[in-house]
Amino acid sequence: MSFTKHVNLQTNKYDNSLEPTALDATVVDFDGVVYRISTPTSKNVILFSLSWQCFPELVKWGVHGMLKKEYGPYFSAETENGYNFTLEFNLKVLPEAKEDREELVNKVSLIKRNLLAQPFERAFVQQRQFEDEKQPNPTPDLMQIQYREQEAIYIQAQHDRVTVIFSTLFKEETDRIIGRVFLQEFVDARRHPTIQNAPQVLYSNKEPPLEIRHLPELQSLGDNEEVGYVTFGHPVPSSLYKTRCKRGNHIPNPTLSRLPPLSYKMFKSLHAFENASTCTSFSESLE
Amino acid sequence: MTRLPPVIMDNGTGYTKLGFAGNNAPSFVFPTVIATRDASKRGIEDLDFFIGNEALSNSKTYGLHYPIRHGQIENWDYMERFWEQSIFKYLRCEPEDHYFLLTEPPLNAPENREQTAEIMFESFNIQGLYIAVQAVLALAASWTTKEKKDYVLTGTVIDSGDGVTHVIPVAEGYVIGSSIKHIPIAGRDITYFVQQLLRDRSENSIPKEDSLKVAEKIKEQFSYVCPDIVKEFQRYDQEGDKYFQKYNGVHSVTGKSYEVDVGFERFLGPEIFFNPEIASSDFLTPIPEVVDNVIQSCPIDTRRGLYKNIVLSGGSTMFKDFGKRLQRDIKRIVDLRVRKSEELSGGSLKATAVDVNVVSHKKQRYAVWYGGSLLGQTSEFYSYCHSKAEYEERGPSICRHNRVFGSLNT
Repeated sequence: MSFTKHVNLQTNKYDNSLEPTALDATVVDFDGVVYRISTPTSKNVILFSLSWQCFPELVKWGVHGMLKKEYGPYFSAETENGYNFTLEFNLKVLPEAKEDREELVNKVSLIKRNLLAQPFERAFVQQRQFEDEKQPNPTPDLMQIQYREQEAIYIQAQHDRVTVIFSTLFKEETDRIIGRVFLQEFVDARRHPTIQNAPQVLYSNKEPPLEIRHLPELQSLGDNEEVGYVTFGHPVPSSLYKTRCKRGNHIPNPTLSRLPPLSYKMFKSLHAFENASTCTSFSESLE
Repeated sequence: MTRLPPVIMDNGTGYTKLGFAGNNAPSFVFPTVIATRDASKRGIEDLDFFIGNEALSNSKTYGLHYPIRHGQIENWDYMERFWEQSIFKYLRCEPEDHYFLLTEPPLNAPENREQTAEIMFESFNIQGLYIAVQAVLALAASWTTKEKKDYVLTGTVIDSGDGVTHVIPVAEGYVIGSSIKHIPIAGRDITYFVQQLLRDRSENSIPKEDSLKVAEKIKEQFSYVCPDIVKEFQRYDQEGDKYFQKYNGVHSVTGKSYEVDVGFERFLGPEIFFNPEIASSDFLTPIPEVVDNVIQSCPIDTRRGLYKNIVLSGGSTMFKDFGKRLQRDIKRIVDLRVRKSEELSGGSLKATAVDVNVVSHKKQRYAVWYGGSLLGQTSEFYSYCHSKAEYEERGPSICRHNRVFGSLNT
């Protein structure tokens, strides 16, 4: 991850007891995420800001709580102009041990994943309420995250599963065809004898799935060839919910983790799934 | 939605510099190398490759390839895959959301630009492309030291990396191709020379297998350019304590630490630019003379501009006082010539003094990349680019020519 290396560089410098240097870098990540890492006031204070167009939506699904929980001491009260939030790192009060520092760097590098994981996590909590007979059934929202200009993720908890829908947009004819073949692979994956109990996947072109058909902005799209929808209906076994992600992360890593290995090139042509990879260890399963 | 910053990619023979416009330094610098493996049974061998440092660390099981030779792309297939990982794995950006600024060596064939454009637009679907000449970007990088009125694209670029040193005259954004000269002395030669000096002095503390690495470290940490080699020797003889230094190394195998005395090689290393005869026997022209020859072979109306703005770029021009010495030596040659022509005219002609100016700046090491970053963050940049729409309208041939950043001065 590009900015991880920036931050890593800093810890390394610190380890070698070299002087901190002034820094001002703007880097991007997939889906139009922009990070700014800068030292505007003092060389010892690094500001880390993020901007992402779907951030207001994520706020609705409680992302501030996550940020406070995960990055609490570093969460800055002031937000840099043009960004959604700012973390502030004072090099003088960083954790002492090398491992702790590395963990911090790791945690910051996972920030985009953590942001996107928040609505998923919310859905899983709601879904468990369905299963838990002691609690009343919730009325789950359909959470929409417009993570790219014309593409969105829809997440909704249901009584026996969490449904995740990715809308995809392929402007070019060839992309559409490759995309269709590739996405059909998801659907057909369950035929493979070793992964028969993989979660169900549906793919539809043009036609939005039932769960989101009522949304007015989708109806206005009408007969657009370019649009497709991939639906993951994911039953959440409690055991899976408890498993932790490889990277030593606190947030469970629930979806998509058992999809068939696919080639990177196909993967590449479908940036939609690059996006998916940020909330899963999908890319890891490819390796 | 706000525009995302353009991607600046400087693919050199040795190293690739990657990053986003507006930043001070590239986000990534790694060797331009790709490691591939022969066909495996799974049918995805074209995805099974590494680039950069990862390629080097996998060199035991993979074959290494250098897609760029002498500044030019030799293997397009490898280059495409190199770009693929540069973008998706390192920069982590979606090319369809960004403009791209790529660099090319001077005298690059327009066909190469076409080919580059084809890959960039067709495979990666980028928004827009600008291909800039490296020397021109190096000139732009030197703007950091100047006032806005001096933002000119006329000057002589001395680009010295690891392998070769180039002297490239540029007039108003155009490279004067016929006058370019190459000097076969660069960073690697200095390292070898320092290594040789250490060996000749029988510096026994250096482990044999580390000797090249130690020479390189000594070159980077202690070297500087002296004003006068004879006086410098005297100075070392008289007050050695002030000048001799110590290099502390750790044996790469046993982990034992050792000490190396660093003496004359501090100034003798970079001296091979100015007195090549001390190290080589086949190339004997000192760098100030080469620069002077280059400028003298350029059209007469550009020469003053070329003397006035001699810009350094590349890691091997980073030695302390390199610029100072170069400026002094070139000035000497120029003044001598001016005086001579005045004498020959019998005193009837009086020449106005020629202004010789060598520009050193902080961004010298990655000057080309930095110049790209400066240009890429201007709002005019987009109007110089070839956009996706233009490409689709006219085809790859539009990229044969890239407009010069001329109007930036106004």
